[in-house]
Amino acid sequence: MTDSALHIPAETVRAPRARFWHDLSFWGLLPARLLMSFALILPIFIIAAVSVATRGAYGGFTWDFNLAGYSQILFNEGWTGELEFTPQYLLIIGRTFLLAGATTLICLLFAVPVAYFISRQPPGRKAALVYLVTLPFWVSMILRVYAWMIILGKDGTLPKLLETLGFPAGMSFMFNDGATLTAMVYTAMPLMVLPVFASIEKLDGTLIEASHDLYGDRWVTLRRVILPLTAPGLTAGAILVFVPSLGAVLEPALMGGGKQMMMGSLIQLQFGGGRNWPFGAAIAMTLMALVMLFLIFTALRAARREATP
Amino acid sequence: MKKYLAATALALCFATSAQAAGELNIYAWAESISPDLIAKFSKENDVKVNVDSFTSNEDLLTKLQAGSSGYDIATPSQHFLRVMIDQGIIENFGANKLKAYENIEEKWRNQWWDEKQEYSIPLAYGTAGFVVNTDQYKGPTDSFKYFFEPAEELKGKIALLSYPDEVIGAAQLYLGVPFCSEDQAEMKKVLDLLMAQKPFVAVYSSDNIASRLASGEVSVHFWWDGDSLRARKAGSPVKLAMTKEGLVGWMDSYVIPKGAPNQDNAVKFIEFMSTQENATEQMNFYSHSSPMKVIQEKVVNTRETAPELYPDVPITFSRTCSAAAQDLVTRVWTQLLQ
Repeated sequence: MTDSALHIPAETVRAPRARFWHDLSFWGLLPARLLMSFALILPIFIIAAVSVATRGAYGGFTWDFNLAGYSQILFNEGWTGELEFTPQYLLIIGRTFLLAGATTLICLLFAVPVAYFISRQPPGRKAALVYLVTLPFWVSMILRVYAWMIILGKDGTLPKLLETLGFPAGMSFMFNDGATLTAMVYTAMPLMVLPVFASIEKLDGTLIEASHDLYGDRWVTLRRVILPLTAPGLTAGAILVFVPSLGAVLEPALMGGGKQMMMGSLIQLQFGGGRNWPFGAAIAMTLMALVMLFLIFTALRAARREATP
Repeated sequence: MKKYLAATALALCFATSAQAAGELNIYAWAESISPDLIAKFSKENDVKVNVDSFTSNEDLLTKLQAGSSGYDIATPSQHFLRVMIDQGIIENFGANKLKAYENIEEKWRNQWWDEKQEYSIPLAYGTAGFVVNTDQYKGPTDSFKYFFEPAEELKGKIALLSYPDEVIGAAQLYLGVPFCSEDQAEMKKVLDLLMAQKPFVAVYSSDNIASRLASGEVSVHFWWDGDSLRARKAGSPVKLAMTKEGLVGWMDSYVIPKGAPNQDNAVKFIEFMSTQENATEQMNFYSHSSPMKVIQEKVVNTRETAPELYPDVPITFSRTCSAAAQDLVTRVWTQLLQ
C-alpha cells in the first residue's frame, strides 16, 4: 500500500521529464512540421538567399553577396548612362496593390449579401448553395478565365446580347483593366463568400432583435451589431482574396492583354527573358514583405478591436 | 454484359502491367513533333514516350538551369542552344558521328551556335514576322513600317507576342540596329518606336494567336511562318508579310540535357527522327522548313503551295546576347509595359 502510494507521485514527477520524442503528439505533428519546414519555410529562405546573390550572365546566379537586386527596385542606369531614380517598378507595385485592393473590395460588396442570403435558407437548400459556391474550384482556373474571354470577347456572349438590344455590333470588352478586374473578382469570389458565410451563419438573430428593441435603426444595427460580430469572417475573406490577387499573372495576361505589367509578370520576366534571378527574387521578397506588413496591420487592428469592447 | 466487363477489366490489368522496356521524356515546343512518329518509335523500340511542352525558350532555359529536369530531349532555338552549351547544361553526345549528321543539309551543319555539331541535331527552322488578316487589312505589307508605324485604321487591331525576343529583333531590323546592341542610344530608339506603336496594340500575347487573328479580333499579329501557313491552309484569310528589311530567323535543335536518365533512347530517337523518310513526315506535320535532307517528292509544303516557308527576303537569325545587351532588351520591355 505504501509502495503504490509512493509509486504514483514518482510517475507524475517523471512524466514531464520524459524525452520529447516519447511524447505521442511530437510524432503526430511531425508530418505537419516537416511539411511546413520543407514546403514553406525552406523555399522562402532559398528565395531570400538568391535575392542577395550575384546574377549569372545567362540566368542563374553565383553565391556572392550582392544587394544589386534590391537597389535595382529603386535605382537604375538611365538612358543617359547615369544611375537615376526609376519609378517604373514602384508604378508596377502600386498598380498591383490597387488592382488587388479593388478585387477585395468588390468581392466584399458582393459576398456579404450572397452569404447573408444563403445563411437564411432552410438547411437542405443551404448545403446545396454552399456546394454551388465551391463548384468553380472543380474547374481549372485557366478554363474559367477562358470562359470570360468567350463572354466578353469579339462576337462573344455579351456583345451579341447587346447587339440584339440595339447597341452597335462588333463591341469587345476585352484587353483592359475592367476585363482583368472582372476575371479576378470572379476567380476570387468563393474565397470571400465561404468565410463570410461561416461568420454570418453563426450570427445570433436575437442580438439583431435586441438591437431593434433598443431603438437601433437598420444602419446602427449593421454598424454596431452585425459588422463587429462578422468581422473575423470578413477579415479572413479579405486576406484570402487580397494576398493571392497580388500574385495574379493569368488574368492580367489573358484578360488585360498584357499591356501593363503586374508584379507577377515582372517576376516572371526576370527569371525568364530578363535572365536576372536575384532581381526577380528581390521583387518576390519585397512583395512578401509588403504582404506581411498588411497582415500585421490587420492582426493589430483585430487585437485592438478585441481589447476595446 | 458482365462477361464483357470482366474481360475488359482483365485486359486493362494486362495493359497496365505490360511495362515498356524503356522510357523517353521529351520537352518540346507545343505540338511540334508528329504524334504518329512518336507512336511508331514507341512501338518499334518498346519505349514509353512522354511529351511535355514549353511555350518559350526562356521557360526551357530556366527549367534546365534549375537542374535535374528529368527530360531526355529538349528542343531549344539557336541562340538559347548556344547559352546551354556555354553553361554546360547539355550533353556532348557526339552528334557529328551519328547518321543523323549525314542527313543534315550541308548548309545547316556546324553553325555558330554549335560549331562542331557535337551537342545538337537540328529539327526545324523558320522565320517570324507579322501576319495580316487579308479580309480586314488591304494595305501594303512589304515593310515593317506598316507594322511599327501603322495606318490609323489599325488602331487597337495589332497584336505582339508576350515576350520581347523576336519582337525586339524585328524592331531592330526595321531601324537598322544590330541584334544584341549594347548601345543605349540605339536601344532607346527601339523603345521609342514600340512606345509610339503601343496605342495601336490591342494585346501582347503569345497564346491563342490563330483564333485571335482568324476571328478578326485583331487584324495584324506578330507570328511564325509555319503557324501562319497552317492557319491559311485551315481556311483563315491570313498572309505572312514579306518585309524588305528581312525576317527574324530561328532554328530549333534536339539536345540532351546534362544527366538525362535515358540518353541511349534519346540518341535512338534523334536518329529515328532524322532519317530522310521520317524527317519528311515530320516536316509535313509541323509545316515549318526542315534542315534535313528530305524526300522532295513527298514534301507537301512546296515553294508553290507554301510561299511562307520560302521567303525571298533576307533572314537574320537571333543572336545570343551578352548580359549587358539583354539588360537593355529587358529594360525596353519593362518601360514599354510599365
